Amino acid sequence: MKNKFVERPRTFCALGGALITATALPDVIPIMHAVMGCGGSIYWNQYGSTGYLGAGYCGGLAAPSSNIQEKDIVFGGVERLEEQARSTIGLVEGGLYIIMTGCTPDIIGDDIHSLVRKLQAEGANIIGAETGGFRGDGYVGYDIVLSALAKGFVTPKGRRKTKKVNLLGIVPGQDAFWRGNLIKLRSLLGRLGIEVNSFFTEYDSLDGIKGSGDASLSIVASEFFGVKAAREFESAHGIPYCESPFPIGPAATEIFLRKIAAELKIPRRLVDSLVDEETKNYFRYVERIADAYNDLDWQRHAVVVGDANYAPAITKFIADDLGWLPEIMVVTSPVGEEDEPKINRVVEDLESRCPVHVVYESDPTEIKKHFWKYIPRRTDALHQDIFSPGFVIGSHLEREFASDIGADHLTVSSPVGNRVVLNRGYAGFDGSLSLIEDLLSVIAFQR
Amino acid sequence: MSYIDAKAAPRREDRLGTCIEFGGLIGDIAKPFCEGCLKNRSRAFSQGTICQLLPALAILTSLQETVVIAHGAIGCGGAVHSLGSSVRLGQWRSGDKNPKGALWLSTNLNEQDVTSGGEVKLREAILEADRRYRPDAIIILSTCVPGIIGDDIDSVTNDVKDQISAALLPVHCEGFKTKVMATAYDAIFHSFLRNVVDGRDETDFGVYDNEAAVAAEAIRRKRLVNLMNVSSMTGPDQNELTRLLNKLGLEVNMLPCDAHPDAFRKAPFAALSIGVCPTHDDYFMSYLEEKFGVPFVGGQMPIGIENTGTWLRQVAAKLGLQETAERIIESESAELNRALEPILPSLKGRTAMLSAGEMRTLATAVLLQELGMEILAVRPYHYDEFGAVEVEKLSGINPSIRLNVATAQPFEAVNMINRAKPDLYIGHNSDNVWAAKCGVSVLPIYGTNSIYSGYAGAYDIARRIRRHLANTSFNDKLSRNVRQPYRKNWYSEDPFKYIKGGELSA
Repeated sequence: MKNKFVERPRTFCALGGALITATALPDVIPIMHAVMGCGGSIYWNQYGSTGYLGAGYCGGLAAPSSNIQEKDIVFGGVERLEEQARSTIGLVEGGLYIIMTGCTPDIIGDDIHSLVRKLQAEGANIIGAETGGFRGDGYVGYDIVLSALAKGFVTPKGRRKTKKVNLLGIVPGQDAFWRGNLIKLRSLLGRLGIEVNSFFTEYDSLDGIKGSGDASLSIVASEFFGVKAAREFESAHGIPYCESPFPIGPAATEIFLRKIAAELKIPRRLVDSLVDEETKNYFRYVERIADAYNDLDWQRHAVVVGDANYAPAITKFIADDLGWLPEIMVVTSPVGEEDEPKINRVVEDLESRCPVHVVYESDPTEIKKHFWKYIPRRTDALHQDIFSPGFVIGSHLEREFASDIGADHLTVSSPVGNRVVLNRGYAGFDGSLSLIEDLLSVIAFQR
Repeated sequence: MSYIDAKAAPRREDRLGTCIEFGGLIGDIAKPFCEGCLKNRSRAFSQGTICQLLPALAILTSLQETVVIAHGAIGCGGAVHSLGSSVRLGQWRSGDKNPKGALWLSTNLNEQDVTSGGEVKLREAILEADRRYRPDAIIILSTCVPGIIGDDIDSVTNDVKDQISAALLPVHCEGFKTKVMATAYDAIFHSFLRNVVDGRDETDFGVYDNEAAVAAEAIRRKRLVNLMNVSSMTGPDQNELTRLLNKLGLEVNMLPCDAHPDAFRKAPFAALSIGVCPTHDDYFMSYLEEKFGVPFVGGQMPIGIENTGTWLRQVAAKLGLQETAERIIESESAELNRALEPILPSLKGRTAMLSAGEMRTLATAVLLQELGMEILAVRPYHYDEFGAVEVEKLSGINPSIRLNVATAQPFEAVNMINRAKPDLYIGHNSDNVWAAKCGVSVLPIYGTNSIYSGYAGAYDIARRIRRHLANTSFNDKLSRNVRQPYRKNWYSEDPFKYIKGGELSA
């Protein structure tokens, strides 16, 4: 992608991603080494973009921060950081402290690692990561923190447990439905007899993360996010990894499960019976909505706008399971040219053979222009082949666009500022039922 | 004001001796503040909070036909995802049924830019913003990264200004430059005064085509006032203040929030500038007086019953409308008191603690005292001479109120709550949850499209407090099931033990 400005960015900076990742981990206390406003900036972004995900145990405006000033930037900020780290350990109760830097200490070159070693030598459970905002977006911050855990916190183990995995690729905050998604995937994998460390759910613990060095595989439920962390688990602990697109719906989830099962050499019949059972269950519900779907003509033309996890996952689900027509798919997170084939493959492999225009664009204003490139404008002709009935599945930034083109709209991808998310997840078989509920409720709401 | 010739406004610490670290009794702050003892304090433990960029974003993204460019890393500006909801609401109110929301760009400075500089990227962003959106004004906010790597946003804007049609406003609000977020207000007004408020009078340029029209305009201007709104004011707040000023026969030119840049261009031709928050707009109003002879009033926030009356009286005195003002105050107060009567028994003797911007916190505390509540503690985000007036009112009634000057810092708040156990916490967005987790009922101190200002605000605050005290289950149960992150012994320690320094500066 061209190095230029971004209109209304849909992500956090690296520090933001790191902070939300850290506060999503059990018993972890972040210590920001940053100027005073980073904490507030990140929290207000979080507030408006993650389905009202609150501060939690020690996030938001409670997150410890060195709040360095101009004089620290001139003379170096490590002295202030040391004071802050010591006072944090004394005041705030946690199992692991993670120092994470903002732009300014990274630019002036504050050496946090010497301080971390010094505090570790005194017995503190502390690690550090350089997460200056200019290093990238929130996804990058997630990878940096998990890599730092793999490298500096997870205990090296000699032996592998054959059916134990680490689950990566679902990024807290950048994915507003992270908790629900993780729980749905870990429960599916659990039914194949796999022990899952998913880092962030109520079933995970700091001890579990510390002991994750004996996993036999890292599953990256994404082909873009978490890959660097998986590589760190590979280089630090010899754990191989396997990437698979983020799965929503029966079609994608079956592919996901078969791929993992093959990697872990899980007997085929086990997978067959799980897929069978889940598919049956899925249709127990879908059967009862089929009346309205057909009576009220609930098939739609669609535009899908989302990050490299969500855009292909939703496109595949609505095309191959829900029977909609995803005419345009807009990928909003940076995808290097070398990675575009991964996205294209999902579209080319659609069972429904729906043609999809793939666009790489984050700016809301530009997305509108792309739309008009592919969709004919209304004219004064009597008979018109227009984008109707239409649906835009995107972020809250697409509300105006959807309304402009007379389409319905549901916010699923970041930023999610007009929905409240608790334990909802869209991953797997079961999650896609929630997605159907949410999509069709938008239509039903108008009746 | 000599400040205006400099590229950036001075820090509040330097201009006003503003401080953000104090803990003690409310009567105890005046002396050390006057002696300058609070200026060089710091905290040995601190929590991430708000820098001057955030209020700058809140105000500037609300302007009409304006694009804001956050020149920095991709995260600076992300706050607009939540701030923007009130911007969207403002656009809706002014008639846009499909509002776009706040329009802002990030120059997305990355590792390469940190090494080689971000000026080229900024320049391209300005040029493309002008082409893409055709705005009336483009505002360039400088953040920490360009501040450290030495990008010169003023020379970039100078270079491109002849190539584009929008007005260009560089605003210096690098977060590391000041610890007083209110410096943002000066930073914004500084740029508007340097780049937009030029004093060009439309009547001199043939806009009005006959003498009668020119004369009519001159008469209109005698009743035209600048009303300086603040970003924490909602639409209903603005309506209430406009209502009261209209009753005085005045026409309102509202700025800066939700305004078109033209409101700034018009400002030098008003008969009076009216502040609603001294900490917010003194920089702008005193310059308008100095340069264009527009007098101003600005010592009083119109929150609270007496306060609203004082505010109206100050306005009226400047324009010779005292008698009208007295009649308005009398009838408004009588109507308000009648309406409050059935509500006040539910509030009587209930205790409260407040936390937010300096004036907002103190003025709202004064109102709660009027409503019969007892103030246990106030936590203004900063403190300077503007707060002294309200502090005097509060300590006059109860000198044992605790005063904690802190920009959020919930660790101090929860310690104080644990000791004081107030019935109600009235706090700033993002600050409230920590009181909620202590089991205290919460009323947000601004926003949520509710009304807080004037007589209507006094009434609405009272009835909303009654509602919150009527069912406390949510926060009660929350407090029993979640825990705060601090070690147990924290609650037996001095809440201000981490505040250090404060000797007279050398």
